Amino acid sequence: MEPLYQYAWLIPVLPLLGATLVGIGLISLNKATNNLRQIVAVFIVSITGVAMVMSFAILWSQIQGHPVYNRTIEWASAGDFRLTMGYTIDHISSLMLVIVTTVAFLVMIYTDGYMAHDDGYVRFYAYLSIFSSSMLGLVISPNLVQVYIFWELVGMCSYLLIGFWFDRKPAADACQKAFVTNRVGDFGLLLGMLGLYWATGSFEFGVMGERLEELVSSGTLWSGLAVIFAILVFLGPVAKSAQFPLHVWLPDAMEGPTPISALIHAATMVAAGVFLIARMYPVFENIPIAMNTIAWTGAATAFIGATIALTQNDIKKGLAYSTMSQLGYMVMAMGIGSYTAGLFHLMTHAYFKAMLFLCSGSVIHGMEAVVGHNPVVAQDMRLMGGLRKYMPVTAITFLIGTLAICGIPPFAGFWSKDEILGQAMTANPALWFIGWATAGLTAFYMFRMYFMTFEGEFRGNDTGIRQQLLAASGVVFGPGAMDTKEHEDHGHDDSPHESPLTMALPLVVLAIPSVALGLIGRPWANNFEEFIHAPSESLAEITAEAGQFDWTEFGIMAGLSVAIATAGIIVAFLAYRAKKIDPNAIAKKYPALYKFSLNKWYFDEIYNQVFVIGSRRLARQIMEVDSRVVDGAVNLTGLATLLSGEGLKYLETGRAQFYALIVFAAVLGFVLVFSIT
Amino acid sequence: MENIQIPWLTAMISLPLIAALAIPVIPDKEGKKVRLYALGVGIVDLVLMVYAFWYNYNLETTELQLTETYNWIPQLGVSWSVGVDGLSMPLIILSGLISTLAILASWQVTHRPKLFYFLVLVLYSAQIGVFAAQDLLLFFLMWEIELVPVYLLISIWGGKKRLYAATKFILYTALASIFILVAGLALAFYGGEFTLNLTELSLKEYPLALEVLAYAGFFIAFGVKLPVFPLHTWLPDAHSQASAPISMILAGVLLKMGGYGLIRFNIEMLPHGHIQFAPLLIVLGVVNIVYGALAAFGQTNLKRRLASSSISHMGFVLIGIASFTDLGINGAVLQMVSHGLIAAALFFLSGVVYDRTHTLMMDEMGGIAQEMPKTFAMFTAGAMASLALPGMSGFVAELSIFLGVSTSDVYSQSFRVGIIFLTAVGLIITPIYLLSMLREVFYGQKNPQLKLDGFSVDAKPREIYITAALLVPIIALGLYPKLVTNTYDVKTIEVTTKVREALSVMAEQQGNNLNVNLLSSQQSSAMIAPHIPG
Repeated sequence: MEPLYQYAWLIPVLPLLGATLVGIGLISLNKATNNLRQIVAVFIVSITGVAMVMSFAILWSQIQGHPVYNRTIEWASAGDFRLTMGYTIDHISSLMLVIVTTVAFLVMIYTDGYMAHDDGYVRFYAYLSIFSSSMLGLVISPNLVQVYIFWELVGMCSYLLIGFWFDRKPAADACQKAFVTNRVGDFGLLLGMLGLYWATGSFEFGVMGERLEELVSSGTLWSGLAVIFAILVFLGPVAKSAQFPLHVWLPDAMEGPTPISALIHAATMVAAGVFLIARMYPVFENIPIAMNTIAWTGAATAFIGATIALTQNDIKKGLAYSTMSQLGYMVMAMGIGSYTAGLFHLMTHAYFKAMLFLCSGSVIHGMEAVVGHNPVVAQDMRLMGGLRKYMPVTAITFLIGTLAICGIPPFAGFWSKDEILGQAMTANPALWFIGWATAGLTAFYMFRMYFMTFEGEFRGNDTGIRQQLLAASGVVFGPGAMDTKEHEDHGHDDSPHESPLTMALPLVVLAIPSVALGLIGRPWANNFEEFIHAPSESLAEITAEAGQFDWTEFGIMAGLSVAIATAGIIVAFLAYRAKKIDPNAIAKKYPALYKFSLNKWYFDEIYNQVFVIGSRRLARQIMEVDSRVVDGAVNLTGLATLLSGEGLKYLETGRAQFYALIVFAAVLGFVLVFSIT
Repeated sequence: MENIQIPWLTAMISLPLIAALAIPVIPDKEGKKVRLYALGVGIVDLVLMVYAFWYNYNLETTELQLTETYNWIPQLGVSWSVGVDGLSMPLIILSGLISTLAILASWQVTHRPKLFYFLVLVLYSAQIGVFAAQDLLLFFLMWEIELVPVYLLISIWGGKKRLYAATKFILYTALASIFILVAGLALAFYGGEFTLNLTELSLKEYPLALEVLAYAGFFIAFGVKLPVFPLHTWLPDAHSQASAPISMILAGVLLKMGGYGLIRFNIEMLPHGHIQFAPLLIVLGVVNIVYGALAAFGQTNLKRRLASSSISHMGFVLIGIASFTDLGINGAVLQMVSHGLIAAALFFLSGVVYDRTHTLMMDEMGGIAQEMPKTFAMFTAGAMASLALPGMSGFVAELSIFLGVSTSDVYSQSFRVGIIFLTAVGLIITPIYLLSMLREVFYGQKNPQLKLDGFSVDAKPREIYITAALLVPIIALGLYPKLVTNTYDVKTIEVTTKVREALSVMAEQQGNNLNVNLLSSQQSSAMIAPHIPG
């Protein structure tokens, strides 16, 4: 197995080479490269395929008990300072490698169908490949600096991909928002990293944790400082994993093409925050305040995300808030110390949420045939309905994903979410209650989405609704933008169609883990926990714990979760399928609550007022000050000097002599003063 | 010391100058032959540099290398004395690269081409001269020679307000450069023997008051060039009015002379003065970073925005050199090299855009990515480099400086925390102004009022080549920074060791006799720690 480990660096490097090659082609031979289309696609997909096979082999050898493998080179040095880079292969990184490569591989296959008619087809594959490379580099990073490096790189890929359709104004705004919001998180991560380095002299995860613990317990380091450092580091995951209060970028990121939403903004990159918390566990777990902050941030995010998802009409926005909410669960799990459950949910969620997003893409693809390419109408669930008849594969896989996310046994989401809720009960019943209530909301909004999209009558040809939606969006797009899109607003079909094989196949493949993957984490025989557990726990402790499995407790907890999920499903059924409850009436009855949810708790409005407008005003003021005050003051000083020179000039015969005289006098003065003293 | 037969440095400095003298006799009216000639000279000189340093430069030593000394004006004690060490070598190569690319970038200069290329070649020589000079007066001479071509290049080939900008530039820099002469001569005359040799000057011992005064003088001179707040206001005017190739040289090389001067004169010659001023340098560095970034965000003119971003990025150099750590000074030099490449790339690309749009106002642009996808891609890469994206050189430099300051034991903890926090705030503002620049220029629907013409619209191979020649080293340094840090590592360690020694001596003196330090009362409230471990 050694050669496999020695060449494991190829896993991130291969996709990078692929992207570089295609990128150079696009810059130097643009037309020719763009005409290659599927040849490029096959090339990039097979490279990812190789990376995937290698990742599976590595995971297998790790399961077989291969020891942790480290390889580093000295990357930068100055004086006594040495910074190494390299890669580390252990249980968690091998698992992440497999998650990232499988989802990336399937998404890339799907892309062929989804982007088939797009001019940017080849460019899209190049971006996908460079993203895969950065993400794979992130998960095998041996130290915090390297994580930070790849952390920013995945952020850049996310920026490029959200803004992929650069002629759309909302996409242009969204990609900048995503990058800047993430920079706020990176700001914290950088400061925390510097602080930890200053305190511990290391960037290695384990060493940092150990030394920090020593320093705090021996009293050398004020424990408050350790808390600050930990929370600063946590700011990174807050932004990347779309946690409250830095979650605002994720829903807007849906402006990117749907395969991206599945790969980056559901399965991999946004989960990087949870991964980083797992890596930094040796630091966090000894700082209870930090752990509590993490747990409560996660719980708040889970709840906020779910309440907003209740009223969204855009299918991708709904899924985005659902992702945010699920990420909240993972972060909460990390915060209450249930390391395994958090990562388990990360894994199951990666598969079923990727599938849900790809399904939504399939739906949009089908809808575009009817309503045209304007996302305002193609993604709105009010125009969908009854799609199960037209796209059965998409409908079934979406239903599987919905059942998984709602936590219905035996689908994957049940096992992972239940494990989190079970441990939350032990840690803090209040956290459990939030998680439990959120599970009910989740079931409701997911089935609302399912019923609105796939059941009932198809409403896509209802021009009334269409006009209404377009009119409402006119505010966003501006009148000028609509004219140019006019020709796209009319679809060419009366009914949507099932998506092509390259799109349907990944859905079916992803359905398998969404159904069955949870079974490796059965609480009474938890194979997953044996493989992935907190660095401070030993395998013996885990098997001992598993031996004390309590069926009654499990039954109560699981029963409660399933009960609330079922309740949510029933309400959704009554409202959106059987039409026994009129959701509009409820919305009218509680307009404040409805508006609060529909407008996403007004985060965007508040941030816009405070930060966007505030920073613009500050910048303008600074510029005014710069051109009026600073420039003026310096010019005035200079002018005064010149004027005095002008005055003196008349006393002398010319300027050159004056210049020389001043210099000479000054030098003489210096010499006299300092030679004498 | 190794005895060198071939006068490499003299050859490098004089080649463009001598070649420039031949330009008037070239029979060419349209400038097509002249530009090829100038480009050829640039390339030959660049090759000469790379060859000379590759075979004759020893990376292990901190001594001056390739030294040459000839008596020049013995009556005044002036000698033609040149040499390179780790500080100057990378910057000389940077000047050669940027100047050569700038010649290639000025392909469409049709107005008085002979004079243009003559001036650019003179400027080429002067830049190398500044970095190689080891004699005070030679340094000053080169410094002044470099100002004249820049003044003319801005005032003849610049934008609408070119005369104002050029005059402002020459007034600021020329007035400030007097301070180099005054402070330098004061040091030269001090003590028993008169010397103009920079190395000998740095070996002399000066009283603290003289160090402080001379330091202040040098700091004003180099601070205008770097630029340091509040002496920066010439820069947005000069950069925005200069044509793109001249902006490349201005931002890519000339600003670095300020940073180079600060290390060569202020730190190496006046370590005790540096100790007095270092906290001020750090504070000004932070002001540069945050103020420059905010000012950049406020600008609506593309080149003014890039110019203000230079102010912001050069703030890191100030912080690095005042950090008293190997990492910090190392990062400062890297930041100079890195910013030279990045700023040159961005200014060049802004020229590429301007050639098509004929405007630099960002609100008059919009949506040009659809017609210029390659330019868009390259501009994005440049902006990413400028916002210190990992994998590119700016990140390594800024990270080194951050690490340097945060581990510096010289400053008190709270001071460091404040500094690092504010500097990191700059990291948030930087992407705001750079990405909104991309958004306003390239993203969205095309502005109907905007006409793109002049060229085959998207970037041509020559323009792609120039950008690639800058982006490749940016990425290479980002991936493996040792490529360049190796060339100066020993030198920056020596510089750090020297100031730290001065620091410990000073700390002892302060302990023994508080009256020795004239500025101790001012400093005691500041951040110099009373004792230095090790």
